[in-house]
Amino acid sequence: MYGYSGKILHIDLTERKTWVEKKPEEWYKMYIGGVAMASRLAWENIESGCDPLSPGNVICVAGGLFCGTPVPVGGKWGLASKSPLTGFIGDSLSGSWFAITLKRSGWDGIVIHGASEDWVRVFVDDDRVTFHDASNLVGLNTYDTEDAIRDEYGDDQIRSACIGPAGENLSRIANVSNDGRKAGRTGQGAVWGSKKLKALSMRGTGGVEVADPDTLLQLSYDILQAAQGPHTQKYRVLGTSSNVLNMNKLGLLPTRNYQQGTFEDAELVSGEYLHEHYKAKTTACAQCPIACEQIGHVKEGPFAPAMGHIEYESLYALSSNCGVGDMEAAIKAITLCNELGTDTMSTGVTISWAMECYEKGVFTKEDFKCEKYPEGFEAKFGNGEAMVTLVEMIAHRDGYMGDLLAEGTKRASAKVDEERGTETYQWAMNIKGLELPGYDARALKTFSVGLAAGVRGGCHNRSAAYDPDIKGDVDRFSVDETRGELAKSTEEYAAVYDTLPLCKFIRRCFTGKADRAGAWPAIAKLINATTGWDFDYDAVDLIGVRAHTIKKAFNIREGWTRADDHLPWRWHHEPMKEGASAGHVVTEEELEYLKDLYYKAKGWTKEGLIPKEKLVELGMDDVAEEIGV
Amino acid sequence: MHVHVELFGLSRIAAGTKELSLELEQATTFRDIVRLLSTKYPDMIGNVINPDGETLHPPNIFNLNAKRMIKPNQMGECPSDGDRIILMSVSAGG
Repeated sequence: MYGYSGKILHIDLTERKTWVEKKPEEWYKMYIGGVAMASRLAWENIESGCDPLSPGNVICVAGGLFCGTPVPVGGKWGLASKSPLTGFIGDSLSGSWFAITLKRSGWDGIVIHGASEDWVRVFVDDDRVTFHDASNLVGLNTYDTEDAIRDEYGDDQIRSACIGPAGENLSRIANVSNDGRKAGRTGQGAVWGSKKLKALSMRGTGGVEVADPDTLLQLSYDILQAAQGPHTQKYRVLGTSSNVLNMNKLGLLPTRNYQQGTFEDAELVSGEYLHEHYKAKTTACAQCPIACEQIGHVKEGPFAPAMGHIEYESLYALSSNCGVGDMEAAIKAITLCNELGTDTMSTGVTISWAMECYEKGVFTKEDFKCEKYPEGFEAKFGNGEAMVTLVEMIAHRDGYMGDLLAEGTKRASAKVDEERGTETYQWAMNIKGLELPGYDARALKTFSVGLAAGVRGGCHNRSAAYDPDIKGDVDRFSVDETRGELAKSTEEYAAVYDTLPLCKFIRRCFTGKADRAGAWPAIAKLINATTGWDFDYDAVDLIGVRAHTIKKAFNIREGWTRADDHLPWRWHHEPMKEGASAGHVVTEEELEYLKDLYYKAKGWTKEGLIPKEKLVELGMDDVAEEIGV
Repeated sequence: MHVHVELFGLSRIAAGTKELSLELEQATTFRDIVRLLSTKYPDMIGNVINPDGETLHPPNIFNLNAKRMIKPNQMGECPSDGDRIILMSVSAGG
């Protein structure tokens, strides 16, 4: 088999033993890599109904088909487990040298079972696996942890995935760091923490054998050339932060916990402002010729010397959404999140919920007592120091508020409402427990169902249904019968990229057109040159269908019902007052109508369950047996 | 007629300004405005404006008054007096 080793490594932390599982080629043709392979491994190995923070949960690591090959932007890996934030599938994607080292070590995937009694790190050195005491690493931030492991071996080619203090403290919004990049969303860092797994390190000295190296090299060269041209220029120069002004103008920029869609200081926290005043350099993920990551640097003042990767989603969550118009505070907060291993988006949205609670009198200054401020502080919108302090409090579960917010908005609001008789759930901006992305879907009606039905919760990376809304392909302020198919089509399109995986920023670099017709034939050629298979347009399209289906199946097995495809209360009941999207909500009737359309487009039942024959059509007979109807 | 053009992203960097105020003939189309921009700010050609000097390089797009995107097949339409045109390029992800 080309492109794969055919082997999955299983590691049991309880018994400290390992075993190898061989998978047939047909399995790889169905699940390819990235989030689909990781999610399939989760389906096969997780004890259904388990507590996500119990030993019954597993950590599933899956490499990418193109890792270690010349294919641009193919250096990504997938991570899956049962999410402690949502109770459903937690799947993440990350691009780094960890992904390539995984492949070079000879493993297509790794499944980590059980839990250790003491803090442990695991070292996979090609085909040798060793367990090591990690007590010396506990408390270290993510960057220092990776450095300490490299230093111990004196080998800078050792790549680690690890957790920071947030994961150690079982924060349900913790992420997994790898080579400075983050496998974020859905709180998988807490799963690692529950297993007392501080780090998984890899050293890979092998190569990746491909079916047709000459063709693959030529195809890769052509894509690489295109990737350094105008199709990616905006990413290279400004990165994704340039979306701040776009969203603000369209009235979609989450501001003050999604109470507004425009922010009066948007210019001060824009990608353009970052570029002009704070940009230190750009960096790239492994195997990437684009280099979109803008590194912001605060050189002086109270937040110096913060330096971190500034992306739009991190930036909106830790600036406008907290009412903070201070780029330096935003860079500091994002840097801290990355160091402490907590998801920037969930952290920012959870902080903004706390700020709204403070402003509305639910919380008082005393509720914010912490090590740094023993008397508490005023957690008003716009208070950059409060925002930065709360990031640290969450990661360390410092004080009442740190411990509360480390649970994410859904659990935090439920706890407060029970204790205080309040209704703060109305301001808890999550779907299935996952905090929302930086697009206000009250005025993006197609996206609203994409988010509501999202298998990992409210996520802009898994549902790309904002695309037709924002581009003006449809009227974003209304619903019609086309939206179910659009939501289906855009999520399955995204799932193809997340499964290979390839970074979506390459999507125009195949032919200049980002749609399926422009990309799928070129992607099929890449797959075939790598594996020797005979994929065509339809086979590439099926990658996305299966990827989404296995995750949905996982959720159904965990007890998902139609009611779980919801929107936050605010989006149903509170229209924004200002800006280009003022006056709009998604009514409950609209959402139910959109869900009907979406389930129908997917070929599911009205209750959103998957018919057996649909699963059998996809070759997923074992899944049909368990959850098909 | 008088229109304002707001520049976001690469177009702002190329032009070195956030906003333009343009005095235009009544029958000026959106495509004419692209031509004008390419003449006035040649650094936009390549990344924001296609080498033909009259079409926007996707996904750069005109938005009219923060309400409506002007699709490529609508570039022959004319703005109205007082309109605000935003030249933006919406990204995804991050």
